[in-house]
Amino acid sequence: MGSFKYALRDGTRLILRHWGLAFLTVITSMAVFYLIGASVLLVLNTRHIVNVLEGELSIQAYLAPNADYDAAARAVASVNHVTRVVIITQDMALERLRQRLPDRADVLTLLGENPLPSSLEVSIDRADSVESVVNALAAIPLINDIVYAGNLAEKLSKFSRFAGQFSLAMLFVAVTASAVVLFNTIRIAVYSKEEEIGIMLMVGATPTFVAMPFVLQGIILGGVGSLGASVFLALSYNGIITRLKDLIPFLPLLDRSTVVFELGVILVGAGATVSLIASLVAVETFTRRAMKPL
Amino acid sequence: MDIRFSGVSKIFYPDITALEDVYLEIPKGEFVYLVGPTGSGKTTLLRCITREVAPTRGQITVGSFSLRKISRVDLSIFRRDIGIIFQDFCLLPHLNVFENVAFVLEVLGAPPREVKERTGEILDQVNLWRRRNLYPPQLSGGEQQRVAVARAIVNSPSVLLADEPTGNLDLHTAEEIMQLIMSINALGTTVIMATHNQYLVDAFRQRVIGIRAGRVVRDEKRGRYSLDGEL
Repeated sequence: MGSFKYALRDGTRLILRHWGLAFLTVITSMAVFYLIGASVLLVLNTRHIVNVLEGELSIQAYLAPNADYDAAARAVASVNHVTRVVIITQDMALERLRQRLPDRADVLTLLGENPLPSSLEVSIDRADSVESVVNALAAIPLINDIVYAGNLAEKLSKFSRFAGQFSLAMLFVAVTASAVVLFNTIRIAVYSKEEEIGIMLMVGATPTFVAMPFVLQGIILGGVGSLGASVFLALSYNGIITRLKDLIPFLPLLDRSTVVFELGVILVGAGATVSLIASLVAVETFTRRAMKPL
Repeated sequence: MDIRFSGVSKIFYPDITALEDVYLEIPKGEFVYLVGPTGSGKTTLLRCITREVAPTRGQITVGSFSLRKISRVDLSIFRRDIGIIFQDFCLLPHLNVFENVAFVLEVLGAPPREVKERTGEILDQVNLWRRRNLYPPQLSGGEQQRVAVARAIVNSPSVLLADEPTGNLDLHTAEEIMQLIMSINALGTTVIMATHNQYLVDAFRQRVIGIRAGRVVRDEKRGRYSLDGEL
């Protein structure tokens, strides 16, 4: 308890003694964690949009005249990534058209014999498999023609993958940058207390005890930075979501407040962890050298 | 704690011999002066005991600790039993007298009440209780050294190492510090003191170990500072 009180008092003193540096560190880690949070939200939203589109994605496979529905459906169902096949007979197609054009029933009578082809409505599991499913369907002789509107979903899916990889790379760069900044701040604090640490080690303080105030300092700076980033992220995200909803009302975006809250908790946790590791490395390097005999 | 040096040599890079083949045995509770010219190896010998310096050859044991291979945690535990007084005091200027002494107990994790009581006792013992709120630059040299002594003994170490503790002090103050160190020794603490102060060595006769060019050249039970005009 005495040790923790000492670490807390000394950790706070360290921050106050180097308040300018502490402020810069907080701002840097805030910017870094904001960047991380923003890219995570971008990825989450892209994935969400892709998921929604995938749920609505279907391929229309028109059958050859006199084709066996069941045989065609079986052949289609055996294709990879196909999740559901619905048979639309000629009569059903006509009925659908009638429902879509309730005021123009007279036009339909002019058609005479039902000219609409029977078809299969094919649902697939992932947008990026549209191309391969379409190719497989085209190879089935019972199918005459294929119509699909999966290009957008496919492009989005590709973008989602790219965004995921990009944010992963950015995460790595950002975390490294944040760790380096924190490491240097703690190292400066350690060197400013070089004499004190020397005396501490000479009177028998353990390296852990020596490290505690610095680690605490690091956790406070990193924690405050990531907490600030989370608050700014929540505020700016809500603003962006509201504006986007006004501009593109049909765009399915993640607007659950829990998403930002959960992300905030993760960011603060990550901030504290990165700071903990960076401070430990900084102070450990110093004490290891200080305790090494000449 | 008994202190034993067995064939200890220390050669600093590239080829500066600080200690050469030193054999020493200092029993618990003894008072030992280390005398010798500047650069003879007195400080290196003291620093070998605190393991700031590792011998190039030989073995040092202090109590149950063999210093040849000692883990960092064991080194911390070992150092808690060693008090050190430096010539230049090495006080922390941003801490007041009380905090400078209490600091040792705090870093050793003593409970706050014990820190307060024990620090008070020690400051009383070294006659600094009334100066407890002053900062090192506000104190005289003698007072600063008394703070350093208080800091060195506040955790009741078994061994007290003093490197020229009176080097920066006038004779009267040096005598005061000397009496303080003698009183600590009288309570059973082993004291090893490197000094150039002939008056003190001759006035407070104790075991004298003479060092020259890193070698122990004399070891007398109740010696004098110099032997036939030689250190």
